[in-house]
Amino acid sequence: MTAWLRGAALAAGLALIGFGLYGLLTDPYLTDPAQVLTWAVGALVLHDAVWLPLLCLVGARLARGPVLRGWLVVAAAVTAAGLPAVLRADDDHGNPSLLPLPYLRNWPAVLAATAALALVTWLVIWLVRRWRRPRPVSRRGDRS
Amino acid sequence: MESKHPGARRRLLPAVPPPPAFLRRGPFRDGAFSSALHEPRTAVVLGRWLGAALLVCFLTGLISHVLQDPPGPLSGLLPARPVNGYRVTQGLHVISGLAAVPLAGAKLWTVYPRLFEWPPARSATHALERLGIAVLVAAVLLELFTGLLNTLQWYPWPFPFRQTHYWVGWLATGGLLVHIAAKAPLIAGNWRRPQVRVPGRRAFLTSVAAAVGAVTLTTAGQTVPWLRTLNLLAPRRPDLGPQGLPVNRTAAQAGTVAVPATWRLRVDGPRPYELTLDELAQLPQHEAVLPIACVEGWSASARWGGVRVADLLARAGAPAGSALRVTSLETDGPYRVMEMPAQYAEDPLTLLALRVNGETLDADHGFPARIIAPNRPGVLQTKWVARLEVVR
Repeated sequence: MTAWLRGAALAAGLALIGFGLYGLLTDPYLTDPAQVLTWAVGALVLHDAVWLPLLCLVGARLARGPVLRGWLVVAAAVTAAGLPAVLRADDDHGNPSLLPLPYLRNWPAVLAATAALALVTWLVIWLVRRWRRPRPVSRRGDRS
Repeated sequence: MESKHPGARRRLLPAVPPPPAFLRRGPFRDGAFSSALHEPRTAVVLGRWLGAALLVCFLTGLISHVLQDPPGPLSGLLPARPVNGYRVTQGLHVISGLAAVPLAGAKLWTVYPRLFEWPPARSATHALERLGIAVLVAAVLLELFTGLLNTLQWYPWPFPFRQTHYWVGWLATGGLLVHIAAKAPLIAGNWRRPQVRVPGRRAFLTSVAAAVGAVTLTTAGQTVPWLRTLNLLAPRRPDLGPQGLPVNRTAAQAGTVAVPATWRLRVDGPRPYELTLDELAQLPQHEAVLPIACVEGWSASARWGGVRVADLLARAGAPAGSALRVTSLETDGPYRVMEMPAQYAEDPLTLLALRVNGETLDADHGFPARIIAPNRPGVLQTKWVARLEVVR
């Protein structure tokens, strides 16, 4: 049964890839599919050869502790989602309802608010540890 | 772990000769990655979340594609209900796509050391599996990047967005299915929480969940009404725009700022006729609360007032079950001519709207008249309507 499901997933996946490739190569609006390939490979190389080594370096050397690392994960995500709006805030093609918010203020505000939450989390963890420390060791033994 | 792979036992394809040892440097070294979280259980947990987000993206994207470009026989089957169907599915499309950004980032970081596994390929099957992963990752990165920038109407690439995003979506989903099939034993072996706890895993997964939460809370307000106050980073706010409604294409962009004084609605059918704006306003008027919902993930509801499209078609002597072709005053643009299947044209909620929230339509909302119909993509709610045509 599981082998059957696995085979079905593999066959379906290959069929979907084949359909996607066929579409990319035959769509009349896609006059140069090689451009798509260039951008896809470019995205892969930028992500795996530039961004991830940098991330591993920061994570291993500079960012210590789960709370700081956690906040950096949140900050990276918020930046990925918000930075394009910051960069394009002035380019609405004459359509004021596109990008109507003060992104250059909101993006740092979200970073600051999440940093404040992270600081509170860190304080709570620190206080809980401090409160627990003088307790006898046997109490910890109860907690499996 | 991978040696338990059934394919390794009975190889259909030959083994690959081992690479020279002097290449084993830098990230290829043993222990080059120090974190304990580069392990299968973390990858499986993140993979489940990411897989779910990507599947939601694919299915909701497919829904949008079918509604925008119905393959012939399907067009009669598209439902005009639920009224908010397009709004909810496309809101979800963008919400899950944005959630997939931190999820894909975390998943790819977790499995990053596998990129440098040694030897790089054990067999031709293994090499093909890795090629499949390259297709999957490249396709997902391209989809998330182009999709995110499309919500800002930012197109720095040389290819058309819509067709590329559609076809690469098939590659991403196919790559995902192949990946799940290839990794099935590893996924099954790590599906349940293991007895041994890896230090830091819970904190890392909590961080990723918090990142998804932060991105969702600060952007989903562009479609979810009760999140509007937290909408800080989304490219739209549903109450900002002319008459309190966002606009996808302005009258200036469409070249329809000044409507000719001779404007008349022309209705072609068995009994063709023309109506001035005043004559239209004297026909029986109806109101409908319907959303404008864009594939870019924003939506806003409004109270529209005008003439029922069904009434206009009946007046032209259209037989029951007639479909409709609507032409805009726009001089060009891919949505200048719109086809509307019969079930929408007959729907009592489908209006040729002359007013929104009690006011005459702004030029940006399609003055003198626009189409508004339930469960339809925003780009098919044709503005600046010049002509309705009964089609069989």
